[in-house]
Amino acid sequence: MFMWLLTFLMVAFSHFFLLADIISTVEFNHTGELLATGDKGGRVVIFQREPESKNEPYNQGEYNVYSTFQSHEPEFDYLKSLEIEEKINKIKWLPQQNAAHSLLSTNDKTIKLWKVTERDKRPEGYNLKDEEGKLKDLSTVTSLQVPVLKPMDLMVEVTPRRIFANGHTYHVNSISVNSDCETYMSADDLRINLWHLAITDRSFNIVDIKPANMEDLTEVITASEFHPHHCNLFVYSSSKGSLRLCDMRASALCDKHSKLFEEPEDPSNRSFFSEIISSVSDVKFSHSGRYMLTRDYLTVKVWDLNMETKPIETYQVHDYLRSKLCSLYENDCIFDKFECAWNGSDSVIMTGAYNNFFRMFDRNTKRDVTLEASRESSKPRAILKPRRVCVGGKRRKDDISVDSLDFTKKILHTAWHPTENIIAIAATNNLYIFQDKVNSEMH
Amino acid sequence: MEFRLEAHRIVSISLGKIYSARGQRGGLKLHKNLLVSLVLRSARRVYLGEPGGECALPPRPGPPPPPDCERLRRGCRPLGSEAAARGRAEFPAESPRKRSAAERGQVAGSPGKKPRREAEPPPPQEDMETGNVASLISIFGSGFSGLLGKERGAAEATEPGQVCCEQPALRSLNPWSTAIVAF
Repeated sequence: MFMWLLTFLMVAFSHFFLLADIISTVEFNHTGELLATGDKGGRVVIFQREPESKNEPYNQGEYNVYSTFQSHEPEFDYLKSLEIEEKINKIKWLPQQNAAHSLLSTNDKTIKLWKVTERDKRPEGYNLKDEEGKLKDLSTVTSLQVPVLKPMDLMVEVTPRRIFANGHTYHVNSISVNSDCETYMSADDLRINLWHLAITDRSFNIVDIKPANMEDLTEVITASEFHPHHCNLFVYSSSKGSLRLCDMRASALCDKHSKLFEEPEDPSNRSFFSEIISSVSDVKFSHSGRYMLTRDYLTVKVWDLNMETKPIETYQVHDYLRSKLCSLYENDCIFDKFECAWNGSDSVIMTGAYNNFFRMFDRNTKRDVTLEASRESSKPRAILKPRRVCVGGKRRKDDISVDSLDFTKKILHTAWHPTENIIAIAATNNLYIFQDKVNSEMH
Repeated sequence: MEFRLEAHRIVSISLGKIYSARGQRGGLKLHKNLLVSLVLRSARRVYLGEPGGECALPPRPGPPPPPDCERLRRGCRPLGSEAAARGRAEFPAESPRKRSAAERGQVAGSPGKKPRREAEPPPPQEDMETGNVASLISIFGSGFSGLLGKERGAAEATEPGQVCCEQPALRSLNPWSTAIVAF
């Protein structure tokens, strides 16, 4: 399918394994020039792709650190005696409208809008201030000069422009910017709010599934996203495995869905854990807007917006875990929330798994591949070798048996460049960026 | 019964998760705890041999499942304490041993046999230390309602982190029970 080359690897700064360094979200901007990661410690790191240089034939536009900033800090809610984690749950880029870049980052409660600007010139030759900015003694000023802009080392400045606080009682799981570029939505377990990017003191509640009596709670919202082209449409997924497409033109409160996408459960697969494994952990519209991709514990599914009864495609990510659900429940792995991603042309889908494996499925050829993001298997300039999990039967060399899988090494967050075959894989506290060899040879 | 052992194990694990969820940084995670409570309810059903437990068993040739099962599986809005009853039991996928139809019949409460009731003590040969667990699960209704207790007035106070229910019956049980009502 592809020939993936490792072009970037960032390992957490310290030698010791710090929980704060665990990457919790990865997102390319709309052009793919920038890549943002958020971590458990509330930091955001932005990478920028170097322009490809004809002088260096091997440099096919690699990513380097562009800026780092502290987005969220731990907070304490005194009323409820609760600590609010600083972990960045999601980052979403705004479409670029001027020289600056903007992004939204969110933790469990508060969403923030950040503006990223470059400064590569500074004025010199002030009349009233000296080089360090101190006021001059006026008696020493004998003539007037016009300050001139002189080049300086590039400085990237990130400033908080808006803070959208107090909109959520429950934990925010997703944010999505509308195609109108003016509004965005944020979803928690029970409610979805619509915000205007310029207004922080109010938001509109557009979905509320909180039952009048919490005893009747059976379902929570797990993810949500705006349609890429239709600014009135959005989808949200639930812990019961269903998707609801809502139209904001239909009514102010979108509790009634326009379409409900749900697949009947396969009775032969019933177990104590059927409900848990059917919970959708991520939903993504295709770039075309025609399809939706969902991830549940064992599968990824492609849904056609025109067909609500069942997905049009289902791919098994790691079906060999089906017989191990009880152990995975015990060690909490069954609650892991894997994300999924489309490639630029919507022909390939990608998702993570355990043992630092990630999987790709080609929708046209129906072929799939398992790859590994690890220091041992990723030598720079060497093509990633496909991996195989053997489930009994003939075992080939380099196969891994199900029982030797490392469940602490999970790839929850992955991202695909919007147009090129470049992927970013977050493996716990390490960030890998792979580029397709064919892609790079073209330049 | 193998899967009753399984159910018991799952009940214990689930209770442990709910208990340890209280001390978690960032507050109670509603999604995870909802899922745990659903698993707990399913396991309890099987453990106590309640009706609805048979819906959980995989389909076998013969008469179609009772209409209840279909409604329950679709997850209808709950009307009472038998909330969105999707009682499913683990047909032990881990066990390589296939069950004979006779065993399934015995377990599921096939025609001619009554399903086991709550009051019946576990068979002595199982030696499962069921004392604490059995008494705890007997106070749970289905799903969330069991965990919250019957205090209607507590509904508004069920934001994460707040104690919502002060049932004296619960307090008289072991320390685990007071942790669970934190929802």
